[in-house]
Amino acid sequence: MGSAWSALLLRLAVVGLLAALTGAWFGAGAGWATASLALLLLLALHTHQLWRLQRWLKRPDSQSVPDAWGAWGDVFFEIYRLLRQEAKARERILADLEVFSQAAEASPDGLVILDADDHILWCNRVAEQQLGLRGERDIGLLVTNLIRLPRLAELIARSSEGQSLQYRPPDRKGTVYSIEAIRFGKDRKLLIGFDVTQSERVETLRRDFVANVSHELRTPLTVIAGFIEHIVTEPEPDPEDTRDQLGIMSEQVSRMLRLVDDLLTLSRLESETQALREDEFDVRDLVYEIAADGRSLSAGRHSITCEVQPALLKGSRDELHSAFSNLLSNAVRYTPDGGRIVLYWEVKDGKGVFSVEDSGIGIAEEHLPRLTERFYRVDRGRSRESGGTGLGLSIVKHVLLRHQAGLEIDSVPGAGSTFRAIFPSWRVTPPQA
Amino acid sequence: MPPSEHLSKQYDSDLEDIRSRVLQMGGLVEAQILAAIECFTSGDHDRMAQVSENEFRVNAYEVEIDDLCIHVVAKRQPTAGDLRLIMGISKAVTDLERMGDEAEKIVRMAGHIHERRGLQIPRSAEVRRSGDMAVAQLRRALDAMARLDPDEAEQIIGEDVLIDGEFRNILRQLITFMMEDPRTISTALEITWIAKAIERIGDHVKNIAEQVIYIVRGTDVRHISKELKRFGGPAEQDS
Repeated sequence: MGSAWSALLLRLAVVGLLAALTGAWFGAGAGWATASLALLLLLALHTHQLWRLQRWLKRPDSQSVPDAWGAWGDVFFEIYRLLRQEAKARERILADLEVFSQAAEASPDGLVILDADDHILWCNRVAEQQLGLRGERDIGLLVTNLIRLPRLAELIARSSEGQSLQYRPPDRKGTVYSIEAIRFGKDRKLLIGFDVTQSERVETLRRDFVANVSHELRTPLTVIAGFIEHIVTEPEPDPEDTRDQLGIMSEQVSRMLRLVDDLLTLSRLESETQALREDEFDVRDLVYEIAADGRSLSAGRHSITCEVQPALLKGSRDELHSAFSNLLSNAVRYTPDGGRIVLYWEVKDGKGVFSVEDSGIGIAEEHLPRLTERFYRVDRGRSRESGGTGLGLSIVKHVLLRHQAGLEIDSVPGAGSTFRAIFPSWRVTPPQA
Repeated sequence: MPPSEHLSKQYDSDLEDIRSRVLQMGGLVEAQILAAIECFTSGDHDRMAQVSENEFRVNAYEVEIDDLCIHVVAKRQPTAGDLRLIMGISKAVTDLERMGDEAEKIVRMAGHIHERRGLQIPRSAEVRRSGDMAVAQLRRALDAMARLDPDEAEQIIGEDVLIDGEFRNILRQLITFMMEDPRTISTALEITWIAKAIERIGDHVKNIAEQVIYIVRGTDVRHISKELKRFGGPAEQDS
């Protein structure tokens, strides 16, 4: 028991003693009167304190804690302490809550919290943007009223993990979100929206790629299979015919080999983990080599000339050889007989530029952006008949990417094309003046 | 609007149920129209059959919602906003059902066109565009109904003229085709039906938007512009 309480008891004892003394001296009546008077006084004092406590509790703040005597002071202090603890705890919880809501807001996925009847309780900004919700305004609305996909209602009703729904926002073509519904807490549901546009696109690319490769391999195989069947079933094959057929078959086989080689090159370039070999070499020799290869491919049907500067380039000579010769062999393939092809190697504004200019058939503008896609063909029939694999420019693009170089294509249909590989200045040592 | 507070919780949930059913029906009609236009450009027979088959679901929705509306009126005697909601919804349902019919009509015409010899008149892009416009308008009208947003509804009503303009454009181009080559006439006529169906869908969307304004504000904005023209004075409306 605290000293405040002893003081209270003492006060009562004093009152009792005073009343007993007065009673002994002036008679019992006077004694009782004194006792009542003293007790009334005490009661009045306590009532006053009680009133102050009540008034303070209406607006409790630390500045105005009433200064009270005895046990009342203790009571005031205790209450004040409790209030302060409460306030601190609330602050802490609010801070935690703030952190959580900031984290939810920062999430790259759309989040929507639904109550038991699928009304929106909260959503983050990503969800607003994904699902076309309007933040504050849409809180309390049924989510299925705003996103009227029949399957969404089913998804939410089931709310089990691993179930998802593809949502294509009607106002943004090509974008795909995957929506999942998860049950949490008591009857609450969480809708999560992931942006799967990219993976969807990659999936399409992969499917197309497999289909393309199979198709490219199938064409020569069909030819070969046909001839083999003929040779096998023919009882007495004419040796002259057989030789012709074997010739065509060998052509087809080499075409398949070329395709597989190109595929391997491409996959090596793409998955290249090794650093690029940084030889410094004279591009002139490389250009002459390539021009010689080109002349043998062209077999005198085109005039191939070189205009080169004595500038050095840093990079992988082997990879650049394959990139440059791909550019040249394209020029040879798509330039009619008697055409002219010029190879340039020069330094412009410090940058190294290798270009192949031809007087070929040219490429219409709408094809230019897609030209480096694998198996993209401007004219399906033509390019296969000229022996291309459809991978050449993809290889060029990858090699140049590894050299931080860019590919520029200028083309006028019917007049010719120029393919330019532009290397950054730090890879180039300009000719010493 | 947060669900209104009635003493009876059941009443609240009845009203909300009706509203969400109308919006679900709207979602279905929207999908039907989109699929119908898709059928017109692609000529996909399975898809056409699917649209025709789904038409009964739209009709079933109409019957069901009308029944719910009558039940609420009979059981709760709604007044003020609740009554307007019920009335507005039962009118919007009719419009939605007609839109479903228009979608079916588009599919039927597309079937005829593709059955004969495919699209010979390269007019599908314009039809498609006006169809996409109508669907986008419908989507916005349904959003306005879900949010009970009369401002949005007003905007939608104003933009109906765009779809009408698109229809006149298509018509003009088709007339040119028909004059140049009489063999295209039958196809062109069928395309006209499709374009007309899309234009009608736009009008139904406008009606729904008008119902949204009626539900929220209690003012009837139907045929206002005609009155304006006739009397030459502004028609004052309290909001």
